[in-house]
Amino acid sequence: MLKVENLVAGYGKVQVLQDVSLEVPQGSLVTLIGSNGAGKTTTLRAVSGMIQAQSGRITLNGGDITGMAMHDITKRGMAHSPEGRRVFPTLPVADNLLLGAFTRVTGSRPKGNVAADLDRMYALFPRLAERRAQLAGTLSGGEQQMLAMARALMLNPLVLLLDEPSMGLAPRLVEEVFAIIARLKAERVTMLLVEQFAAAALDVADFGYVLENGRVAASGPAAALKNDPAVRAAYLGAAH
Amino acid sequence: MQILAQLIVSGIAVGMIYGVIAFGYQLTFATSKTLNFGQGEALMLGSLVGLTVVAYTGYWLMLPVVLAFGLLQGAVVERLGVRQAIKTKSEAGWIMATIALGIIFKNLAENIWGRDALKFPSPLPEAPLSFMGVNVLPMEVAIVFGALALMLAVEFFNRRSIYGKAVVATANDRDAAGLMGINTSLVITFSYALSSMTAAFAGVLVAPVTLTGASMGGVLGLKAFAVAIIGGLSSGMGVIVGGLILGITETLFGYYFSTGYKDVPGLVLLLLVLSVKPSGLFGAAAIKKV
Repeated sequence: MLKVENLVAGYGKVQVLQDVSLEVPQGSLVTLIGSNGAGKTTTLRAVSGMIQAQSGRITLNGGDITGMAMHDITKRGMAHSPEGRRVFPTLPVADNLLLGAFTRVTGSRPKGNVAADLDRMYALFPRLAERRAQLAGTLSGGEQQMLAMARALMLNPLVLLLDEPSMGLAPRLVEEVFAIIARLKAERVTMLLVEQFAAAALDVADFGYVLENGRVAASGPAAALKNDPAVRAAYLGAAH
Repeated sequence: MQILAQLIVSGIAVGMIYGVIAFGYQLTFATSKTLNFGQGEALMLGSLVGLTVVAYTGYWLMLPVVLAFGLLQGAVVERLGVRQAIKTKSEAGWIMATIALGIIFKNLAENIWGRDALKFPSPLPEAPLSFMGVNVLPMEVAIVFGALALMLAVEFFNRRSIYGKAVVATANDRDAAGLMGINTSLVITFSYALSSMTAAFAGVLVAPVTLTGASMGGVLGLKAFAVAIIGGLSSGMGVIVGGLILGITETLFGYYFSTGYKDVPGLVLLLLVLSVKPSGLFGAAAIKKV
């Protein structure tokens, strides 16, 4: 569904990604792990068009999306729940969700039933239902994270990019977020998950990639990566 | 007492014009953090185009033509003067470019309509109405309600329609808006178009009271800029209150002291606000939740 080949990207003259290739098959959950600065977030940003690839090729559902503008990539069905949540603070929760379906409401993606999907999001994230009229800027960090995920899902995306959904959350909320990811996986939502909690990410994922200094250092089925001694030593800590 | 009331009434009408132009400044500032320093010229062009068109169509049909012209003029300003500066993240490029375009528009207008002040036909009776001894021109009442109606219409669009919400989203966080599939460059062009449309509308509102002409824009644009600073570049309430403060102070000062210095109090107020509360009387200090 999503294929990244020999991606090189960065910010200005700083090259973060040296050579990244990965694949996310339809209906699967793939995770990207690695230490801070390895290029996980940069990979997602290049895939969704927030930054431009310097070289390499990115294809979504067979179509080349390399170099396309962000909004055009979204129209092709890519949803990105970005690092730092980036909800629209001065708009109510309900409007944030509606904007997730902007391309559907305005006709550049199949419309489906937007109202039913809103209800589905409120069922999946009950806290958002309670706060639907509240301005997003007044939500707690955990609630904003839920909102960012729900907003991305409102696209009915072909691929959902999730950047550190657990970042900065209390442990109980981290569990809640992972439970939701597991549920989305059961619904066969195609996902690329970037996570700092490598163990939890590998538990829920089908397949994993380990990034090191902008390159893929290891990859394999999530269960196999979890038992790989090198990966365990570097990313999973002694406790596992 | 009667004179004071009379002066305040006139000040309110002038102030609403400042307010509606300042509102236009806010529209582009919200989405792009840039301003059209040729806003006064957008007003002047709207008014003069209106003067030419009104001869063929009559007053009411002239309005939509002027609004459409304003939209187009604003889009041209953004494409020629602002887009490249935003793309290259230039700090001052858009300032010079919008000032330059303003001068070009003024020059163009001088060559088409001449340099003299021209009379603009009034759609309403020109005899003043009298309320308890205070004379009010019907057009002054129209200015107040017209300006309010325009601002409310834009506010309604932003809150109710999906495209308006896309504008607000772009103002909140341009990248995140792009991730929603919103073409944010187009949103910025649109906000420039809307901003010039606001100015053009203000131009036809004020012209029957003040006369029109190629040089009418400069001072109005500058005063409205002062209002936008006084009221805060992000507060809708701020520009109305800021406009009224400036309009009323000017009229009072002009009468009780000297018309020769009537531009002074407003600008002194501007300097005062800048030194005491730089975000404007109604501007909220930026709060960022991490």
